Amino acid sequence: MSSAGQSLALTGRALREALRTPEALFPTLFIPLFFLIVNTGQASEILRGESFLKGQGYAAFQLPSSLLLAASFGSAALFLVEDIEGGYFDKLRATPASRTSLVLGRLGAEFVKSATITLVLILISLLLGIRIASGPIGWVLLLLLTAGWGVVYGGFMQLIALKTRSAAATNSGGLVFFPLLFLTPSFAPRDRLGDGMREAASLNPVTYIMEGLRSLVLDDLDWSAIGRGFAVIAIAGLVMIALNVRMIRNYD
Amino acid sequence: MTYAVEAESLVKHYSSRKETVEAVRGVDLQVAEGEVFGFLGPNGAGKSTTVRMLTTLLSITSGTARVAGVDVSVEPDRARRKIGVALQEAGLDGRQTGRETLILQARLFDMPQASAVDRAQVLLELVDLVESGDRRVKGYSGGMKRRLDLATALVHQPEVLFLDEPTTGLDPASRLVVWDEVRRINEQGTTVFLTTQYLEEADALCNRLAIIDGGRIVLEGTPQQLKTDLRDRRGLDADPTLDEVFLDATGRTRERAAGDVQEVLA
Repeated sequence: MSSAGQSLALTGRALREALRTPEALFPTLFIPLFFLIVNTGQASEILRGESFLKGQGYAAFQLPSSLLLAASFGSAALFLVEDIEGGYFDKLRATPASRTSLVLGRLGAEFVKSATITLVLILISLLLGIRIASGPIGWVLLLLLTAGWGVVYGGFMQLIALKTRSAAATNSGGLVFFPLLFLTPSFAPRDRLGDGMREAASLNPVTYIMEGLRSLVLDDLDWSAIGRGFAVIAIAGLVMIALNVRMIRNYD
Repeated sequence: MTYAVEAESLVKHYSSRKETVEAVRGVDLQVAEGEVFGFLGPNGAGKSTTVRMLTTLLSITSGTARVAGVDVSVEPDRARRKIGVALQEAGLDGRQTGRETLILQARLFDMPQASAVDRAQVLLELVDLVESGDRRVKGYSGGMKRRLDLATALVHQPEVLFLDEPTTGLDPASRLVVWDEVRRINEQGTTVFLTTQYLEEADALCNRLAIIDGGRIVLEGTPQQLKTDLRDRRGLDADPTLDEVFLDATGRTRERAAGDVQEVLA
């Protein structure tokens, strides 16, 4: 079987694992939705009619932050720690399966999980009056871009899991995302931020993913914003996969 | 002669900022094809570290190891196709069923889906888990988990089977079932490399054994040879037990006090 086939077999296993642990999926859906509603409730009246909202409510502007948050729970890494602690990871390492497939198996499942949760969140957001201005293609790109971020972040969390082999350390590693999320134009467009914050946001790669997502929600297809978002995902994704494979090859 | 397992001057050091721990200090081993080879030693002697090096799970600091003629450092993937591994703790995913576990394992050894399904059924029958094959593993007893673990190690019909303390934590009945399995697997031509802390297990199963202590092999031979050697050396009237051989080889003594057996360092 090819490395792709091995990856698919391992992805199937990781998806069964997720479906059989529904309690791990609940916060992934609930917390981003909570932030969407609370943040919108706090700022929507202040920002009503602002031109950067492109005729929509503030919830549409906030939706990308919630999508990124939902894709950043990294439960795959915690399942990996369970595999390591329980000895199943060694059983997988003792097979001739390619080390790349051991990484991609879990990340493939992370992609599917993130895409599904994104779809559910977007459907709920329609009930809140949000429109996806970029149409059906935009829906697909929203799913791909968010799920791509899920893979990147899942890869980052897996690195921590492989390095520390500890659930507590992996959980703490997840908190790294919060500064990255807040060093973005999450509450207002970049050109409305103060100088220091604007520079910090410009240096933060998550900014470009968020702006890509936001353009899909608020604009017709803005290929330059979308392209920057996908470029960040592609580069960061390749780096994460390469680092994970290297870590497993050198795993003692 | 090609050995099923061959190690020369095998060394493993663990280095940290503060110190370097020499877990294995130059192990030489030769296990013939078709043997059940016992690898004994006290806790921390280097048994599991040696097994993990031989099974590609741990890097080798120096020395060489070949399994079924394949150098495990040079061609780890080729070596993995020739060996089956059941480690100290049954490494299983509790959320999968026994059948799913075996099918996935077979798929990772390159079997097509249909063959993997068939192989899983054969193995479930072999280890007497057909009725519970579609239940999740987390509901299995310790003995059932151990049998499933053994089955996963046999998915690809390995030439050499490594069993690291396969009966630790099992009740006596389950232990006997595993012994029968090991004998049956060996009769079919698979070489078995077995680590254990139970000396009666080594006595019952192994053609030959080695005792490791402090990261070095301190004694090697057939169980009968080792007993005879100790008997001759000490001028005993009868064969000593393998326990006594072990205690002699590892420099430990046994003292009886108020009916209790206490093991102390000499």
